[in-house]
Amino acid sequence: MSIEVRRYEHGSRVPGWDEAADLSKDPAQVPDPATTPVPEDLRAEIEAHMANYPDHRSAAIPALAAVQRRYGWCTPEGIEQAACVMRLTPAYLVAVATFYDMLETRPVARHTIYVCTNISCSLRGADELLAAFKDAGDEQEFNIRGFECLGACDIAPMASVNGVYVGPVTRDEVPEVIAALRQGREVLPDKHLVKRPVADPNAQT
Amino acid sequence: MTDPILFKDIDEPGLRTLEVYRRRGGYDMVSKALAMTRDELVHDLEISGLRGRGGAGFSMGKKASFLPKTTMDKYLVCNADESEPGTFKDRELMTKLPHMLIEGIIIAAHAAGANRAFIYIRGEYQEVADILDAALVEARDAGYLDNLPLVVHRGAGAYICGEETGLLDSLEGKRGNPRLKPPFPANQGLYQGPTLINNVETLMTVPHIVRMGGESYAKIGAANSTGTKVVSVSGNVQRPGNYEIELGIASRELIYGLAGGPPEGREILFWFPGGSSSPVLTKDELDVPYDFDSMAKAGSMIGSGAIIIVDDSNSVVDVALKLASFYRHESCGKCTPCREGTNWTVKVLERIQSGLGTPMDLDIMASVQDRIIGNCLCVLGDSMAMPIGSMIEKFRPQFEEYMESRREVAA
Amino acid sequence: MPRPFHRDITFSIDGREVTAPENTILVDAAKYGDVEIPVFCYEPKLGQPVGACRMCLVEIEGIPKLQTACSTPVKDGMVVHTLTDRVKEAQNAVVEFLLINHPLDCPVCDKGGECPLQDISFGWGAGVSRFIEPKRHFEKPLSLSPLVAIDRERCILCYRCVRFSQEVAEDYQLVFEERGAHTYVSTFNGHPYVAPFSGNIIELCPVGALTSKPYRFRARPWDIEQAGSVCTLCPSQCNVSFTVRDDRVLRVLARDHKEVDDGWLCDKGRFAYQAIHADERITRPMIRDGGELREVSWDRALDEAAAALGRARGKVAAVVGGQTSNEEGHLLSHLVRDVLGSSDVESRVAGAPSAELRVALDHPDLQATVPDIEFAHAVLVIDAEPVDDMPIIDLRIRKGVRRNHVKLGVATSRPSSLDPNASAVARFAPGAGEAFLAALNAALGGGGVLSELAEAAGTTEQAVRDVAALFDATDLVILYGERLLSGPRADQTARALLNVAGKSFERGRDGAGLMEIPAGTNSRGLREVGCVSDRSPAEIAEAAAGGDLTALYLLHTDPLVDLAGEWEPALDRATTVIAHSMFLTPGIAEHATIVFPAESWAEREGTVTHPDGRLQRLRAGIGRPGDVRACWQTLAELSKRLGADISILTGSMATAQMAEHVPIYAGITHDELGGQGVRWQERDAASAYPGDVDFGPFGLEAPPVRPRPSGSELQFATFRSIWGGPEVAASPALQFLRSRPRVLLSPADAQRLELFDGLAATVAPDGREAVEATVHVRDAVPEGSAFLESDVAGVVGTAGIRKAEAAVVV
Repeated sequence: MSIEVRRYEHGSRVPGWDEAADLSKDPAQVPDPATTPVPEDLRAEIEAHMANYPDHRSAAIPALAAVQRRYGWCTPEGIEQAACVMRLTPAYLVAVATFYDMLETRPVARHTIYVCTNISCSLRGADELLAAFKDAGDEQEFNIRGFECLGACDIAPMASVNGVYVGPVTRDEVPEVIAALRQGREVLPDKHLVKRPVADPNAQT
Repeated sequence: MTDPILFKDIDEPGLRTLEVYRRRGGYDMVSKALAMTRDELVHDLEISGLRGRGGAGFSMGKKASFLPKTTMDKYLVCNADESEPGTFKDRELMTKLPHMLIEGIIIAAHAAGANRAFIYIRGEYQEVADILDAALVEARDAGYLDNLPLVVHRGAGAYICGEETGLLDSLEGKRGNPRLKPPFPANQGLYQGPTLINNVETLMTVPHIVRMGGESYAKIGAANSTGTKVVSVSGNVQRPGNYEIELGIASRELIYGLAGGPPEGREILFWFPGGSSSPVLTKDELDVPYDFDSMAKAGSMIGSGAIIIVDDSNSVVDVALKLASFYRHESCGKCTPCREGTNWTVKVLERIQSGLGTPMDLDIMASVQDRIIGNCLCVLGDSMAMPIGSMIEKFRPQFEEYMESRREVAA
Repeated sequence: MPRPFHRDITFSIDGREVTAPENTILVDAAKYGDVEIPVFCYEPKLGQPVGACRMCLVEIEGIPKLQTACSTPVKDGMVVHTLTDRVKEAQNAVVEFLLINHPLDCPVCDKGGECPLQDISFGWGAGVSRFIEPKRHFEKPLSLSPLVAIDRERCILCYRCVRFSQEVAEDYQLVFEERGAHTYVSTFNGHPYVAPFSGNIIELCPVGALTSKPYRFRARPWDIEQAGSVCTLCPSQCNVSFTVRDDRVLRVLARDHKEVDDGWLCDKGRFAYQAIHADERITRPMIRDGGELREVSWDRALDEAAAALGRARGKVAAVVGGQTSNEEGHLLSHLVRDVLGSSDVESRVAGAPSAELRVALDHPDLQATVPDIEFAHAVLVIDAEPVDDMPIIDLRIRKGVRRNHVKLGVATSRPSSLDPNASAVARFAPGAGEAFLAALNAALGGGGVLSELAEAAGTTEQAVRDVAALFDATDLVILYGERLLSGPRADQTARALLNVAGKSFERGRDGAGLMEIPAGTNSRGLREVGCVSDRSPAEIAEAAAGGDLTALYLLHTDPLVDLAGEWEPALDRATTVIAHSMFLTPGIAEHATIVFPAESWAEREGTVTHPDGRLQRLRAGIGRPGDVRACWQTLAELSKRLGADISILTGSMATAQMAEHVPIYAGITHDELGGQGVRWQERDAASAYPGDVDFGPFGLEAPPVRPRPSGSELQFATFRSIWGGPEVAASPALQFLRSRPRVLLSPADAQRLELFDGLAATVAPDGREAVEATVHVRDAVPEGSAFLESDVAGVVGTAGIRKAEAAVVV
């Protein structure tokens, strides 16, 4: 039996670096509408975004976000559909999608939990919080990611749970967050950032 | 202490709605500003001394004056991609005062002669973007935006899009790589058109300047650093949060007086006065006045106005690695020194952490920082190099001590 | 748009006063003072600088930060330093940074010895690295396409390849994925990077990250020689440099000529060199003996050919292929006309306009040049698909639109790859070019009823008006396909075109004019040296089939493959069929009685004429293989054996002899042409061009009624793709691209005919043999039209299309 040598343990391991082109495929040109069916609602949403800008390519991120909402991640088929509507090559969109942290180009679970692990949060226990989340939620159900500064250091350590900012979150609260998501309940309703008053004592007269 | 300008009664219930905002005099400044000529308005902004609140601190009025007076399409872009670690002021302002931002945008667009505007908001701020969208509907229905199409454009997670030209590329639907300058956005920005880009807080200050008059506004704050500034204080402090201060107060007052200082029994090891990109200061530098020039003189900057306090329970190496990893992750990859230099720095710090560091590594790392600074298109690389450089300079003994202890652990 | 003009200014670099045109990019301006500023990402051919690699940092007095010389236009009085400690420190820094993750596997790298990274590391690096962390290691090399291998370890992310794909070829298949140090060059979801110009990225790559699969490890730079010549595989006539080792062409590189190719090559020009050394190549003369072609000596072949031609005096016709040189065309014309007393020497593919109209169309006063396309205010492409017919022009058009905001109009039957770049697109029915021009003429106020003419052309009034709007431009360049002016109504069509041209620009105006996109590489030169006949090829075929012509001379052409018309019976009936060819293509294998081995384009000497009138010199880069002899030599020898010794002993003598007989080329020599060629219109001899020309406007006849398809029939035309031709077929590396029968259908027709994408269909053109082809359903194809990819382009009519029997879904 051969021993598996980990060639890539040094430095970053990037999906894609080792991928060759599949020479049996055709080149990926601008998808032809005649052979690329696009769901009507997705088309309508992308076209509405395109109408917002003088140059329709500006709708790249909103279009990819729409694809991600619909399919859970930016699937190759979804990217092709968006490319077809926008008259771009799918490569254009995949270049954009892989640039941005929130656009997923690999399959991910339904619930997204970003735990901020940048300086201010990590000074207040974010790394431990992230570990607790990873222990508590399984990958099939939860897309748990350490994230760069989410801009909510006032509630450190915090997390963005399906887009809702909550904090400070203690490790003890992690099971409750997971349970609430599973049961479709509101997550830590008392700790929503939008409900929090400003810290500055001079603001209240 | 002067009264807060932006924060005044910011938690008043319903302030997010047009009704309450208008009851408080909201949007009154639109008609006043639109009645002024573009030149008068720009002049007022210039004499107000308002400096950009996003990080670079450039005179807002001057920037607006750079836009050519041609009839071509011109753009105003609100930079709401607040991503500098430690910064969360724009989030709070937009969450609570969405209409004040729209009002500021309408007035600033007039100053710039812009006929189209965008708010580029970071994708993570979904809740805030929803609030802005709702406010936009109200403002549109009320007719405030009849002559200014305004769109909230959501990013998707990339720090570099806070850099103004990276933001423009991103808004054009591309990867958010910063552009070569010149041409500057004022001449060739969004869609090649003249573009004024301003931070949220800057734009929200604009209606107040119109209300007070530039001259009165200039009386607040310090020389060359007029007005008030919302400062985000975070990290090892007892009351993290946003505080609106008059520029020029002592940093100590802000950190200890307002934010409560570090937890009981702890001391400040070092602090970032202007987000993670600013060179760090020590506990001996707490009396530096919090304004643009004083901070520059102290060898740092107020940047986006975000103070991060690191207390003595932490190791400088861990913070340095956190910081370097962040910039490596966020480097767009365009310029060689930033792309490779951030990567190199992380690798050296990781090795130090694993117990395989030597004091020579500090010299190499310091030299790597020097070789990044000033050699790139934008300042992302500098934003790592300056604080890391300052840490090595100010905390070399701590680095060496750490190496020793780790080496023992590794052995 | 006027071409940029720059006054000269003086600036100082490293203490030297240097004069250079104002606003020249500093990297280039420095060269005026013999100062080299190192660069990786800077490549002016790619458009705006990106300033990414940071290699070119220099110090400019008055600016505190170091500046990138690749993005700084030079100004009068600028003081630049490239040798200060600060600059050196920055250069050392960038080299050190670039090398930290570069594998330094130069000994096994194909780029070794011709690698800018090697050179710059040596010239501007510190020579040491302080990087002791483990480097990244990844699988390598990987396929990026069947032609290109990618080694991501070596990549320095200079942006060149992706900029080429995105901003030059505009295929936008090659992109960066991920961000920061993770960034890598890739395509969408593992699709290969296959596009007509993909090979240029190999040449652009400043490291060994992108290498040519056919060239990898065949040679080191010190084993090879570079031989400059011109590619004759299409009318673009790109300037190339053959990489030669041991008398074999191993690679083809671009030889940058701004007025011809802009330094780009298509993949056919870059990779089809493999055909030069293909086993299938004919290398000895052959004679048909007992039904079989057998190799014979040159003497015997020449004797037999001379004897056969002698017997056929007065009944000889020559068909001349597009790759024929001016000299060969002239010598053949001399042989057939002067020696053999016959009149048919034809290089055109189908019926063509009369000599008088041709004189007007090709007139120097109406002639646009290649750079005109880039600087015109508007460009109109009529009945041609540049990417297939003259590929490098496609890039030039895109460049004009992208960089100079040239307005583009595309008026074709088949959807064009330039449609997305066009501000006006008109689709007319296959074969309705005349009617379209008449409609355009009407829209421009030239008479006729626009609505009726648009209807006759199978287009809409609005589309014609959109195209007509381009004529407001001060400088308009009209590019038209040679096939627009082919066929029985060539004269009428030519008149309509001249009328339209008369509406667009003043004659003699620089920067505007007409340019033909010919069907053959040297179509223009061959016309100018006299390879034109009163009879069209189809009429020649008819005469031969009827026995009026007994000997056919096929110079670099196989009518069965290249020409429409009934050639089978002609070749069957002719007693003598003499062919010069590199390959035994079907018509030659089946019908030739004498075959002379032809030189490849890397072996030939002589001249060709670019569609804009530039005479370019072909130079032999390698020796002729086997017993191959020069074609001019064979033709001269035949003349001699038939009693007319023209005493040509060298290639330059052939050129001199040709120039002596073509007044507008008078005095042309190889020396004068040099490596860049010269446009004959710009020489004194151009005054010999016929005067007294009728440019119109002409009264136009009503265009003929188009055949209306019925039932399952569709309007139909064939087209030849860039991947047609025996050179592609004989190049192993290009097999995956080789032209195959494909039929393009509109979604509506496909649905009606119960055909879908990928299905096999039988295409039965009216009055022709049916062909089996793969169905490609394309949204842009107009309903009612079908287009078949074929080696023979320009067949127009109606065709029945149905599911092939035993159809297999691919």
